[in-house]
This record gives sequence, C-alpha cells and structure tokens, in this order.
Amino acid sequence: MEPSRTVFTSQKPLQVNPIKHSQPMGSTLAFLGVKECMPLMHAAQGCASYTKVFFTRHFNEPIAVRNTSVSDITAVLDGGDYSILMAIENIQEKEKNLKPSMIGLHTTGLTETKGDDVRGVGTHIEIPYVYVNTPDYEGGMESGWALTATAIIEQLTLPATEVKPNKLVLLPHVSMQPIEVEKIKCLCEDFGFETYALPDLSTSLDGYWEEAQGKLANGGITVDQIRDLATSSVVVSIGASMKKSALALQAKNPAIEHLHFDHLMGLEGCDNFVGALMKIRQADPKPLVKRWRARLQDAMLDTHFLIGTSHFVVTGEPDMLVGLCAMLRSVGGTITAAVSTVYSDVLETIEAENVFVGDLEDAREYMQNADLVISNFHAERILHSYLHTALVIRGFPNYEELGNQLKNDQLYEGSTYFLFEIANELRKVKHEH
Amino acid sequence: MVSRAKIKELMNESACSHSKDKKPGEGCDKPKPGLAAGGCAFDGAQISLFPYADAVHLVHGPQTCLGASWETRETKTSYEGRDHTQMGFTTGITTNDVIFGGDKRLADSIDYIMENYRPEAIFVYSTCVTALVGDDIDATCKAGSEKHGVPVVPVHAPGFVGSKNLGSRLAGEAVLEHLIGTKEPETTTPYDINLIGDYNVTGDMWQYLPLFEKIGIRVLSSMSGDGRVGDIRTAHRARLNVIVCAKSLITLTRKMQERYGIPWISVSFYGKRDTTFAIREIVNALGDPALIERAEAVIAQAEAELEAKLAPYKALFEGKKAVLNTGGNKAWSIASGLQDLGIEVVATSVAKSTQDDIDKAREYLGENGVLMTKPAAEQAKVIDATGAHILLAGGRSLYTAIKKKISFIDVNQEKKTSYGGYNGLLNLAEDLKYAFRNPVFANVGRPAPWEAP
Repeated sequence: MEPSRTVFTSQKPLQVNPIKHSQPMGSTLAFLGVKECMPLMHAAQGCASYTKVFFTRHFNEPIAVRNTSVSDITAVLDGGDYSILMAIENIQEKEKNLKPSMIGLHTTGLTETKGDDVRGVGTHIEIPYVYVNTPDYEGGMESGWALTATAIIEQLTLPATEVKPNKLVLLPHVSMQPIEVEKIKCLCEDFGFETYALPDLSTSLDGYWEEAQGKLANGGITVDQIRDLATSSVVVSIGASMKKSALALQAKNPAIEHLHFDHLMGLEGCDNFVGALMKIRQADPKPLVKRWRARLQDAMLDTHFLIGTSHFVVTGEPDMLVGLCAMLRSVGGTITAAVSTVYSDVLETIEAENVFVGDLEDAREYMQNADLVISNFHAERILHSYLHTALVIRGFPNYEELGNQLKNDQLYEGSTYFLFEIANELRKVKHEH
Repeated sequence: MVSRAKIKELMNESACSHSKDKKPGEGCDKPKPGLAAGGCAFDGAQISLFPYADAVHLVHGPQTCLGASWETRETKTSYEGRDHTQMGFTTGITTNDVIFGGDKRLADSIDYIMENYRPEAIFVYSTCVTALVGDDIDATCKAGSEKHGVPVVPVHAPGFVGSKNLGSRLAGEAVLEHLIGTKEPETTTPYDINLIGDYNVTGDMWQYLPLFEKIGIRVLSSMSGDGRVGDIRTAHRARLNVIVCAKSLITLTRKMQERYGIPWISVSFYGKRDTTFAIREIVNALGDPALIERAEAVIAQAEAELEAKLAPYKALFEGKKAVLNTGGNKAWSIASGLQDLGIEVVATSVAKSTQDDIDKAREYLGENGVLMTKPAAEQAKVIDATGAHILLAGGRSLYTAIKKKISFIDVNQEKKTSYGGYNGLLNLAEDLKYAFRNPVFANVGRPAPWEAP
C-alpha cells in the first residue's frame, strides 16, 4: 500500500459528532506542564469551564485554569488590559498565598475577534508572563499546544552561545500522555543526558496523590529551567507540530543540534530515535532497552496474523494518527480510514486507503466494515450498532476509562503492549462473530 | 440578536428570592474576572434545552463551545427515534466566517441537518464570536423554518452575557417566544401539568413519574427532561407549572402565568419528605378532592413500601453521623435524604447558599446542627468535635477524610444512579452502605515505609 498522497477535507458546512478540539484547550494543557504556572484563558467564563471539565474528566485530576471572564460589555469597550489585569488582581486579593511562577495567558476566538493587545498588557504585570494567540476558529488542540511551547521559548528562554554537552530538551506533541513523556525522558537519562521536557506533564498530570491539591500547575518544568534551555546541546521534537518550537529554541542558540522524529512508535520509529541517541553518545543503550526491542520483535510476530488480516479506522490529532497508523502498518494492518482533526503536511505520509480531515459522521461509513476502531471515547456510542467492531480508546477525551495518564504506547516497551492490546481486542470480536 | 433590555429584565426577576436582598436595578451578580468559575450563559442554555432528544441542537460558533461539551450529560430519554442528545452538531466557524460572516454556513448547516436527520426542530445557539461579528441568526432561522416546515429556534445566550443561570433564563425566553402556544394538544385533562427544570439526569424523573400516573396527574410537557418539542408547543394548555429545583426558570413560569393564567409552584423530589411534600403541593394546587384523596393513598402505600425496604439500612446506619459540605440546594436536600435513612447530619455548608437555603438547612438540622460558612477550614474540626463517621463533599475534601480516617462520598462527582423520588433513597442508601464498609480511606493514608510512624 502506497501513501495516499491525497488527503482530503470533508466539505460539509458543519461538523456532526466532532473529534476536533480547540487551540485554547491545547494551550491550557501546555501551560499545565510548567511548574506553578497559572494558566489564564482570555475568554468568556465558559471557555475555561468547559476546558477544566474536559481535562478533569480525562485525567481524573483537578485542573488549575482561570479565566478573565470577558463580558459582552468588556468585549466591546476593553482592549484586554482591564479584564486581564483585573483577573490577576482579583485572584491575588482573594488568594493571598498564591504565588504563581508564571502567568500563561492564552486567547480565544472571542478575544481574537475583538483584537486585544495581549502583548502590551505584559508590561504592567510583575510576575513572569507568557502570552499566546490561540483563536479557536483556527487550528486545533495540537497547534494550540505547539504555539504555546513556541511562545514559552520565545518569551522566556534566554539566548545563549555556549551549550552544555549532554543536555537535552524534549518537545513532545499534545497527544502524548504523562507517562509517555516520562518513559522517553528516562531513556534519554539512561543515555547520560541531563533531560528536560517542554511542556512536561509527566510530573504534573501523572495522577499522584498528595496532601495539597494545586491551585496552580502541580509539577512540570520550572521557569528557571525554561530560561536556561538554550544551553542544551540537543533539542528533540516529537511530532511534526513541534518542529517550529525546536526552531524557536535554535534561534536562541544556533549551536543546538536539532533532531526531529514524526513519532516514536513501532520498531522503526524507536530505532531511529535510539540510533540517533547512540550516535551522539557513542554508546549502546542499556541491556533492558535491547531486551524490550527483542520483545517488540516477538510481539510483532505474535500479533501479525490477527492484525495483518484486519481492517482499521483510526481517528485523532495528526501527530498521534501518524504514529498509530505506522505501528499498525508495520505488522500488516489495513487502514481503511485515517481521520484527522485538522490538516497537517505529515498526514501525507500515512499509508491508508483513505486519509481525510473530518468528523465521526464521516468516519462512520468506514466503521461498518472495520474490525477495530481507534478513536476517542465518542466512537463508543456509534459502535454500539456494530457489534463486530472493537474499540481501543486513544486521544482526548477518554471519559470511559480510568488511568489514561499512565497509558504508554511509546518506544519499544509501549509499542509491545499496544500491539498486544490491539490483537487481544481483535480476538474478542473475531472469535465471537 | 441579544437584547440588553431582556438581559436586564432577566437579571432582576421579581419572582426570584435572590432579588429581595438587592437594591433596585442591582440584580444578579456579574461574573468577576479571574474569579468566575462556573459555566457561561451558553452552557446554561444548552443544559436547559439539550434534553429534547427529538430536536437537533446546532451550535453556531468556533470549536470550544461544542467540541468540549457534547456527550457529557447523563440526561436520559425514552424517545424512540434517533436520540440527538448524544450527538454533537456545530458550524465550527473558521477565520473566513469571522471575516465575511457565518450566515451562509449556518443556512447550509440547517439544510444539511434537515436532509440527513429530519428532526422535529432545530435549536440554533449563538455564541460569543457569532454574536460579536453580528451574524443575523434570527433571519437565517426564520428562513430555515419556513423552508423546512419545522421550528428552527434561535437561542441567544452567547457565553459572554453572563452565567449559566442567565443562560437557562434566556433558553426559557426562546421557548416562550418560539414554541409555547404554537400547537394545540390532542387532548387535555384537568390534571395536566408542565414539568419545568428537571433534566432527567440519570433518570431522576422516572423515579416519581410512575406515582403521577397512579394518582392521575398527567405531564403535558416537560422542559426539558425526556421532553418532546411537539409537547412543549402545547404547554400553554396546562393547568399548573411545576418547577423542579430550578430558580433559573422562574421568569418563564411567571410570564406563562401572566400570558396564559397558569399558576406555578416550586418543589423538589429529593428524599422521602420532599417527595411527599411535592406531590401534596401539586394535587393541592390542582385542587380536585378526588385527586387529593388518590394522592394520599399512593403516598401512604409508597412510603410504607419504602420504609420496609429501608429498615435493613436504618439498622445498619444507626448512630452514624455525617458532615455535609456541598453547595446550593444540595446543602439541605442531601441532608434530608440522609436523615430519612436515619443518619444524623451534624453539619452542613452554607457557604454559597441563599437565605432560603440557609433557613431550610437550619430547619432540617435543628438548633444543634453546625452551619459551616467556611467549610474548608471548619470541617476537620467539626469531624473531631462531633465524632462524625462520614464526610460527603467535593473531591477537594478527600484529604480531610483520609486524615481523619473516616468514610467519604464525592457528592459532586457525576452520579450514575438517581437519588430522586422515593426509590432514589434506596440508591443513596446503597452508596452509603458501600462507603461505610470501604476501608480504602484508612488504607491509602497509612504511613510509607520511609516515613516516621
């Protein structure tokens, strides 16, 4: 099967059962990966409320996000200064002990339409302040996250000319769950790199129990660490959406080496990454990494018959979609439809019978003849009418299952578990019908 | 269009008890930048109308408004056609629509929906961006309605006009303006009521509707739990409006009284006492002696059946004390349910309550009950002082329960079963039974091997 090279976009005037999520939501999530950051959505109160509920239910954790509560009156009369500064003042007055390390201001369709100068407001704010323009009538969750990572680097990271050897920064795309970021960090650390991730959800939304429930982002990379990122010797972008963020860091210090990977899933994806790290460090990976590679090889052989004789529909954000499809293809799965939330050039690399930008209504006609669907939880209700089709939930949101933050599909180990999960789900539907 | 005069009127509802303490013109609280936490007006409008399963709910706005909110509500329906409440429809406007206007996209979307889904009606929700760029939603809806012969109802509750509560009111206005009184019912009875403000979350309504049937009370229409658009159009022929736990729709019922002479009452169906009280209120308002007599018989039988089923739980819960930390009407409605189960409620929160709610909480808890005004700081001390066995609160209070090694129920968590009506008490009792017996709160809190004991 050749790559389709013909990614098309649904031509309907509306979306029915959408899978797309908005830029400001991706931005909120990115700011939650900065320690003690206060994400502040410049919006009517509902935007932040929906976002909070959405992530609270996905992660089963409290989500710290505030909003500027733009009203119909301030929408017309205020250029942004009033609501943003009032929001900060009100929060500080009410919660005297709250000491945010940074304010992460992100806009929405409403405040972009009225054209607020969110950059200028920063001069009146004493706390470190990062702003990002994320209208929700453009892009999607993936681009909102990427724009935010880029803005954080551009506005906080100090330029440098020297690099620290063996200092590495990871730029993960939005669909990577906290444990996935942790696993990749661990691999880099095992290679002897001092490793950072931006944004870093692995220590903030990884679901851990502690006494204080944060009114700010619980964990993540610190503001000081962000300031110092341009001394890294290597920046690794994972996912096409994160390339620009890597270039923004390189702009702070051209001596930084940039490695890019579209994904770290499946044997080839992992080999590329591990190979690149080996080259820099001139060292072999730890024995356990090699062992996991052999287990993945075995898993590929164990699962190839079931997966290789099955048809799949996969939906999600572009960067996740590319990785999942590559993994299924590597063991012979036939992808009848890869349905993306938004367009991205990287979609052109997907090997599938149909690759398109659309919604679950569009995906539905392909689901009828699929053995297995990989989608967010919204596909579940549709699949009630197709009993011969299995569902594996990936992407945002997953309100059906618990422990989403600890689901790992990355590297040799995660890929191994993923293939077994797919094969076991296939076995259930294929044996029963 | 969103009308400022209408919003002002809704914010100063004369029939609302909140308005009593306010100076003239002061009205409801406006969301404060940085501190507003709840949903917006659009959210409220959706909550009030979304349960109409025979209608399509089309959100005319950018991605956040619907993308994050569809298929999140457990509003049950018995509608046998395609259930549109579990689907999401949005115009998902893009930059082009912001620049050139989204009217054409909206009109095309209405056509698409009618061609592919043939609903009984379409509700079109304006949102901040489409309101700000000035799309003529009224005209597009009117044209769509004429073209397709079903009501296409514009709902003007963009998020930035205010809170969830205001959005519910605006939804009420849309229904009053475009639906109520546009169709005659096939038959009427002297016992026809409209149910207003019960959204049938987890099937709450189905806990008490069988009792109505036994008594002979007929629900002519519902706004909007398990409701049908066709029925709400006939709502003007009802004899009584019954508001269920929803202050936000008082404006609607007041206006229906003025316009159609339909009186209204406000009731709740949480716990035994409230359910019995609610049924009596309804039949008394309808005023038929035979109906009242039948109601008393049904109440007596239902209460007796319930008491028999509750007996084993009451034995189990004897001597148990509870601290309740939750907002609004839950502060007394859950307290009432707990007391019906024989549990002593030693404290409840009144941090965000209205004076009505505070009075009611005092009435239910008695003079020794603690009404906490700063529950986050107070609850641990109250647990110590009273020897309470269980804390019912939001997730943020879980730590207090673990620290005090007592049981815990997250009352703000999405509930999966109904606590409504008489039988809802049995569901609450089941949940409590398991909570009391679950050792997890003590187990989780045990010291780690590396901590000093």
